[in-house]
Amino acid sequence: MKRSFRIYLAILILSLISFSCSKERYIDGPGNLVPKTVDQDVTLPSISVNGARLHSEVFGPEDSTLIICIHGGPGGDYRYMLNCKTLATKGYRVVFYDQRGAGLSQRFPKSWYKSQGSDAINKIFYDELRSVIAHYKTSTSQKVILLGQSWGAMLATGYSGKYPTDVDGLIVAEPGGLKWDDVVDYVSESRSFKLWGETLNDATYIDQFMTGKEDQHEILDYKAGLIGSTNEIVGDVGADLGNNAPSYVASRSGAVVNAASYELGQDTKPDFSTGINQFSKKVLFIYSSNNKAYPDSWATKISSAYTNKEIFKAQGVGHSGMLDQVNFWTTTMEPKIISYIQSL
Amino acid sequence: MKATTVKSTIIVIVFLLFHNSIDAQVINWENISKQNMHLLHVDVGAEYGIIAGVGYHHLIPIKRFPLWIGGEFSVPSGSQLADDDFKVRLGAQIRIVALNHFQFSARLQGIARRYHNQSVRLFNFGSDLAGTVGYYRKNWFLGAESGFDKAIVTNFKHSEWYKKNIYDNVQDGWYEPATGGNFYYGLQGGFSMKKVDLTLKVGKVLQQDFKSQPLLPFYGQFGVNFRF
Repeated sequence: MKRSFRIYLAILILSLISFSCSKERYIDGPGNLVPKTVDQDVTLPSISVNGARLHSEVFGPEDSTLIICIHGGPGGDYRYMLNCKTLATKGYRVVFYDQRGAGLSQRFPKSWYKSQGSDAINKIFYDELRSVIAHYKTSTSQKVILLGQSWGAMLATGYSGKYPTDVDGLIVAEPGGLKWDDVVDYVSESRSFKLWGETLNDATYIDQFMTGKEDQHEILDYKAGLIGSTNEIVGDVGADLGNNAPSYVASRSGAVVNAASYELGQDTKPDFSTGINQFSKKVLFIYSSNNKAYPDSWATKISSAYTNKEIFKAQGVGHSGMLDQVNFWTTTMEPKIISYIQSL
Repeated sequence: MKATTVKSTIIVIVFLLFHNSIDAQVINWENISKQNMHLLHVDVGAEYGIIAGVGYHHLIPIKRFPLWIGGEFSVPSGSQLADDDFKVRLGAQIRIVALNHFQFSARLQGIARRYHNQSVRLFNFGSDLAGTVGYYRKNWFLGAESGFDKAIVTNFKHSEWYKKNIYDNVQDGWYEPATGGNFYYGLQGGFSMKKVDLTLKVGKVLQQDFKSQPLLPFYGQFGVNFRF
């Protein structure tokens, strides 16, 4: 019996070793499970600003009012905002960019983010946005409108508070919170998945199939993307871009920038409403009816930071739906935004 | 998947299915006898999610090295049970050292597991190697275990939804070398009655870089063994 057990053990060990004899396909190979970034694929549209190569596109007349679209996350990408590019046909210059470490933009190690210290939000995100605006701005008189969703709305608010005279209009779609405690509360509420539910299981069960080290971006981004595409709590059902979708399908999460930003937030407790009371122009504040984590009371609380505002409740869509559902965009959101810009 | 990998996989499956290797059952090594050579167990707990499992083991009474062989099947919680996630473990646990009431045992398991969500279906072959040292009495036992769960080779099959919404050029197929690995360590113990053991184990999980943690960084299991 002991002899046969040894034979079986030897067979098992030999068979396990022989796995390594076949051709290797790595889960962290560029382009295998997640699309390549702009520094790996030079055919992607990109700009170099503030020490990073960013995935970026622009549409519309060069000298007309700039609308800078700022995506959520941190660590999301601008693909779901591409319905906004129809504003280019209405005479606006519409700019999209994936933030550093997010979408198809260049990746950086986690240690780089953490090394930015107490002024990290400023150095990582505000300086980058300022550089993007400078890159596309053709004259000092060219107007700049910021359109941010979720984290992008928090970033746009913080930037407008820091540079109130540089921004001519501010559109914020469901900033989770502006003060750090509110951010934490919102994130907790929007991810309060049922303990027994499929969503939470999908997020945790995969950890036995794939593991990635701290800066293995391909693996970490892939896993983040698997669990971040839909969320019933906030009413997201997946983007419908219609004819606004690009010819290629390449969306990618930025897991490292997301984790680093959250850790930096815990360390520095940023307040994105700082200085926003100095921003006197009207703000268009949008929230949605299908986001269970963003009831009327939360919208009232968060919007109270803006002194001059118009509040709009997007009916029948969720957290991203006001921008990523082409029908709602065409019939409701685009006219609303144009009306707001014209009112400034 | 290359021919060598297919061949290797088949060898492992055949080995595991027909030659009764391996499992993760908590066993009271002081309370085994030739009169009760069958062990049926059910368990609930947390292991990369909330799980429930059932298993069977058979005792091979090698003189100084009693060997339990058998298998276990578990599923995680969730709204979808059909065509969804599961894990099968087949293997053996053997007592290697017995010194008074202190005993050391080793476990070797082959694992086949499946993951499915809106984006992808993963199928993985892996292994689990663990050791347990403990103090065992007839009616109770307490031990410490440590092990390594390796995801050796994984097949990816992405959904049309993923290709339409996330990445159209994603590469399906078998991925190797290993796609993942987690170390775990913890405590296990239990009470034993005439034909029944009540067992409990808890511990911590660390990824193979010893720095990162899985989203659920601990495990726990409450189990009941029926011996007959």
